[in-house]
Amino acid sequence: MGAEATETRRGTAAHDAAALARLLVETLHLEIAPEEIDPDAPLFGGELGLDSIDALELALAISRAYGLELRADDERNGEIFASLSALSAYIAEQLASSS
Amino acid sequence: MSIAWTRRPERGSAALVALMAWLTLRLGEGLGRALLVPITLYFLATGGPARAASRAYLARVLGREARLADLFRHVHAFAAVQFDRLLFATGRAGHFRLDCEGVEHLQRLVDEGRGALLLGAHLGSFEALRLLATRACPVPVKALMHRPPPGPLTAWLARRDPAFAAAVIEIGRPGSMLAVAETIAAGGFVGVLADRAPRPERMVRVTFLGAPAAFPAGPMALAAALAAPVLLCRAVRLGRGHYALRFEPFADPLVLPRAERDAALAGAVARYAAWLEAACRAHPFSWFNFFDVWDNDAATAPPAAPDPHPYEPRLGADPARDPRRAGLDA
Repeated sequence: MGAEATETRRGTAAHDAAALARLLVETLHLEIAPEEIDPDAPLFGGELGLDSIDALELALAISRAYGLELRADDERNGEIFASLSALSAYIAEQLASSS
Repeated sequence: MSIAWTRRPERGSAALVALMAWLTLRLGEGLGRALLVPITLYFLATGGPARAASRAYLARVLGREARLADLFRHVHAFAAVQFDRLLFATGRAGHFRLDCEGVEHLQRLVDEGRGALLLGAHLGSFEALRLLATRACPVPVKALMHRPPPGPLTAWLARRDPAFAAAVIEIGRPGSMLAVAETIAAGGFVGVLADRAPRPERMVRVTFLGAPAAFPAGPMALAAALAAPVLLCRAVRLGRGHYALRFEPFADPLVLPRAERDAALAGAVARYAAWLEAACRAHPFSWFNFFDVWDNDAATAPPAAPDPHPYEPRLGADPARDPRRAGLDA
């Protein structure tokens, strides 16, 4: 999931992934270092144990940080929120398409 | 409130519900209403855990041991509200009398174009609230709740009343809480029942009717994340075709300071429980929880793994973040 986007936009995605990991840790006050987050591990229901309210807080933080609206009715939400790298790829894609 | 916010499946066979619905629609309310007594007796006779929970609750709220007549009254009140759902869904509740208290709190928000989170309980009827909304409220009113597996009545109502399905924000999807935020940002109201955890999730134990009881932390965490006004609401059935709706301000917004988050969250849950307790004392037979919230064993059993619902509110998943973790066993 998101692998293709990561391939084609490796530069942006890599940069975003690190910044996004920091945003994730800061927003949700996780007791883990940003660089320790496995970019391909599931964000929700996995090791990080995030839940839907965390998803909301994360989406609000992303909207503040990047000016991007994550939409509730986006059918790709399952993919978008699948992992840090998938989320990062999605943000990169949205930023590229809006600029 | 009577929506399918429950881990125990809604009871009653599809055939029974279909029969009751058919009889009511074809032969009139009177017959349908007459069927409530045998239906109540049937559920009293067969509903072991729910009957035990009803007995435990009634003993606390009434301050004496619950008699069979009390149990009957409790289950019958629930059945009557369920029956009213048929009338609401089929447009036969137009003549219902809705006594409203505190509507000015809603009106002010509507005037200001602000949405809000409505904290409710399994107290009376959510449909009565929707009826008020369709009569008088110019903004969308939705309910955050679990959809599957719907009981036969909910499934029947959803087919009968598409507006009901449209008014539901389903918990357990990646965008569920975003949908709540979007509805509120657009000036709408979203109702959530905060007296029961639909899945194993973080619980907070606060005093309720004289003893520590487990309430979910999720609704308060959601309220804080939304940073929107929060109201308490209830719609209690007083009698045939007669409901009392009441709205009270709870927080605007609910703030859970990071440094003292656990204490602030427990304080918010305690305030909610105090509100619920007052409502239960005023209307002892109208709280349709039917789960033993004082059951320590049920409240401390570990959540089952692996989690089939990764997007559920599950605030206790990381003990490091949540020392109070305790899941509610199904």
